[in-house]
Amino acid sequence: MSTDVSRPARRGTPPPAMRQDRRVPRVFYLMVLPAVALFAVFHTLPLLTGMFFSLTNYAGYGEWSFVGLQNYVNLFGDDRIYNAYGFTFLFAIVSTIAVNIIALAVAIALNGRIRFKTGFRGIFFIPNILSILIVGYVFNYVFSNSVPAIAEALGITSLTTSILASPDTAWIGVVILSVWQAAAFNIIIYLAGLQTIPTELYEAAALDGATPWKQFTSITFPMIGAFFTINMVLSLKNFLQVFDQIISLTAGGPGTSTESISVLIYRGGFQGGEYGYQTANAVIYLFVIIAISFIQLRILQRREASF
Amino acid sequence: MKLPPGRAPRAVRYLVGGTALALVLSACATQDDVVTLNFFQFKPEAVANFNGIIDRFEAENPDIRVVQNHVPDADTAIRTLLVKDKTPDVLTLNGNGRYGELAEACVFADLSDLTVVEQVRPAVGDIIGELGSCSTGEVNAVPFSSNASGILYNRGLFAQYGVEVPTTWDELLAAAQTFEDAGVTPFYTTLKDGWTVSPAFVNLGGALQPEDFFDRLRAEGSDVAAGEVSFSKDYPEAMEKLTTLYSFGQDGAASRDYNAGNAAFGAGESAMYMQGSYAIPAIRASNPDANIGSFPYPATNSPEDTVVVSGVDVAVSVGRDTEHPEEARRFVEFLMSPEVVQQYAQEQSAFSPLTTGAETTDPALAGLAPYFDDNRIIGFIDHQLPASLPLPQYLQELALGGSVEGFLSVMDREWSKIAARTIPNEKD
Repeated sequence: MSTDVSRPARRGTPPPAMRQDRRVPRVFYLMVLPAVALFAVFHTLPLLTGMFFSLTNYAGYGEWSFVGLQNYVNLFGDDRIYNAYGFTFLFAIVSTIAVNIIALAVAIALNGRIRFKTGFRGIFFIPNILSILIVGYVFNYVFSNSVPAIAEALGITSLTTSILASPDTAWIGVVILSVWQAAAFNIIIYLAGLQTIPTELYEAAALDGATPWKQFTSITFPMIGAFFTINMVLSLKNFLQVFDQIISLTAGGPGTSTESISVLIYRGGFQGGEYGYQTANAVIYLFVIIAISFIQLRILQRREASF
Repeated sequence: MKLPPGRAPRAVRYLVGGTALALVLSACATQDDVVTLNFFQFKPEAVANFNGIIDRFEAENPDIRVVQNHVPDADTAIRTLLVKDKTPDVLTLNGNGRYGELAEACVFADLSDLTVVEQVRPAVGDIIGELGSCSTGEVNAVPFSSNASGILYNRGLFAQYGVEVPTTWDELLAAAQTFEDAGVTPFYTTLKDGWTVSPAFVNLGGALQPEDFFDRLRAEGSDVAAGEVSFSKDYPEAMEKLTTLYSFGQDGAASRDYNAGNAAFGAGESAMYMQGSYAIPAIRASNPDANIGSFPYPATNSPEDTVVVSGVDVAVSVGRDTEHPEEARRFVEFLMSPEVVQQYAQEQSAFSPLTTGAETTDPALAGLAPYFDDNRIIGFIDHQLPASLPLPQYLQELALGGSVEGFLSVMDREWSKIAARTIPNEKD
C-alpha cells in the first residue's frame, strides 16, 4: 500500500455535500439488526458458552468446577482423538476429490446439448433434498443385504460380506453415500459456472482445431476456477464435519473404525458424560477447520484465471 | 359448503366433550384434597402395564392422581428435566451406570425407611447399591423388576440331538461342537450391534474376575499399567473364552443385528443365543411358539461357582425435592406390593426382586430362577465402567476377529486416560 500518496487526499475535511452522501440511512441498520440479534443469540452466544464450558469439568448436568486448560492438555495425550482425526481426514480428502471429479463430469454432460436436459438436472439434484439420515438407512440396508445377495448370485466372493461389517472397508461405504449425496449440490454450482463461459471461446477454439480435451483443460477448467475453489472449500469443510452419514451407516463402527471427530464429540460429550472435555475437542476442531479453509482458499484463489 | 350429514353434530359433540373434559381436569387440579403425582416411566413397552397399575392405585386412593409420562429416550429426557429443575415426583429408571451417576448427584430421595426395602432380596439390593448413592447408607431406589443374562437355548433342538443342558465349561464346548458337527448353528451372533457382545462379556468377566476387581482398579487411578490389577492381567481368560464362544457363530454374523437375531433364534435357526431374559418377549413376538429354555454361563468347570448376572431392569425412585413426599411414598409402596410386582414380572418375563410371595413361573426362565433363590447373582460389570469408555465398540472389534491382547491393552489405556482426565468436584 502506498500510504504516502493516498493520505494527504483524505486529510482535509470533505465538503458538506459529500458528507451528506456518505451517511448511511438509519433504515439499513434497522434492517440488519434482527439478523444480527438472531445470529448473536442462536450462534455466537452458544459458541461462547461452549468455549466457557471447555474450561470446566461439566458432565452435562449437576455440579461443575473450573479446571483451567486441563481438558486441552489431556486432549493431546488421547490416541482415540488422533484416530478420529486420521479417519476424518482420510475420509474428507478422498470424498472431496471424488465428489469434485464426479460432479464436474456430470455437470459438463448436463451442460451439453442433450435431450431432457432440464429433466436430468432435476433428477441429479434430488439427492440434495433428501434427508441424509433416511438415505443413510436405505444405503445401510443395500450394503448389508442387497449387495451381498447380488454378489452371491454373481459369484463375486469378495463382496458377499457387507463392506460395512469389516473395519477395513466400512469407510468406503461412508464415502460412497457421502459422495452420492454431496455431488448434487456441487453439480449445480458447476453448472452455474459452465454457463458463464462465453460460447465464442469454444467456437474460436474449434476453428483453431483444439480437441475436446484441449478445450476442457485450456478453456473450461480455467474459466470455472472460482467455482472450483468454492466447491473444494465447501465440500472439504462439510466432509470434515461428517456426522449423519456415519450415524446412519455404521454408528462409528465396526469398533471405532469409522468414528469421525463429530461423532466422537457427540458420543463422549452427550452419552459419555464428558461434556467439558469434548467441548474442548470441539473448540480445537473449530480452529482446525477455519485454518484449513483459509489455507485452501489462499492456495486455490491464487491459481484462478483472472479475466 | 354443505357438510355431509352427521358430520357437524359429531364435531360439535367432540368439541363439547373436550371442553367438558378440560373443565373437569382443571377442576381436579384446583381441588385441594386431590394431589397429582408426576410419574416418569422409562419403558415404552410397559406403558399399558403401568396404566393398569395406576388405575388400581387411584381406585384405592381417591385423594391421589398419578399422571404417567413416557418418552422414547428416557436417559436423555431425565437429564433435561433435571437441568430444568423439574424432577418428577416418582420415577422409574433402568438400574444402569447412568442411574448411579444421577444417584450420586443426589437427585433422588432416601427411601431406606420404607418397609419394602427389607423385603428386597439382599443380593438385588446390593446390586443397586453398588451403582452409587447420594451418601453411604442411603437407599435411592427400590428394585421393581430384575432381569437376568444367561444363555437361551432351543429345547426342541437340544432334545433332537440328545444334548443335555451344560453345567461346566467343557460341557458347553462339547454341546456347541455337537451342534456344529450336525450342521446346526450353535450360537446365533449379531455383530452388527456391538452391544450384543456385552452380555457374554459381563457373564464371563463377572464370573472370572478377581474379588473387588473394579474397586481395586478405581483405587489405582490412572496408573493401571503399574498396578496390581488390570484388564491385561485379570481378563485374558474371560476374553479367550468369549472369542471361543463367538467362533461358533453363524456365517455373515457381522451384518446381522439384534432384531434379526431374535427372529432367527425364535425361528429355530440356532441351538443357543447369548442374550438374557429381556430378549424373551421379542423372541416370542416373532414366534409365539418358540420353545425357549435358559441356563447360566458355566464359566468354569466347577458348577458350584456358576452365578447368574442380574440387573435391576426397573428401579423406582422418588424425587429428592418433591412437594408430595407422603403421597409419592404411598405410590411406591403400592408399586412394590407382591401382587403388583408378581403380575408385572409375569407380563414382562422378568424376575421378582422380592423375597416373598412372587414365584417365577415362566418356563423360559426356569433354568435361571433357582440362582435367584440362592442369592447366587452378581451385577452387570459394565455398569462399573465409565460411560465414556466405548466398551461395545471394542467388544465388536474383538468379536469380528481382533486380538485379545489388543482388546485388553486398549481397555487399560482408555481406563487410565479417563481416570486421568476425570476431575471430581469437591463434595460438600
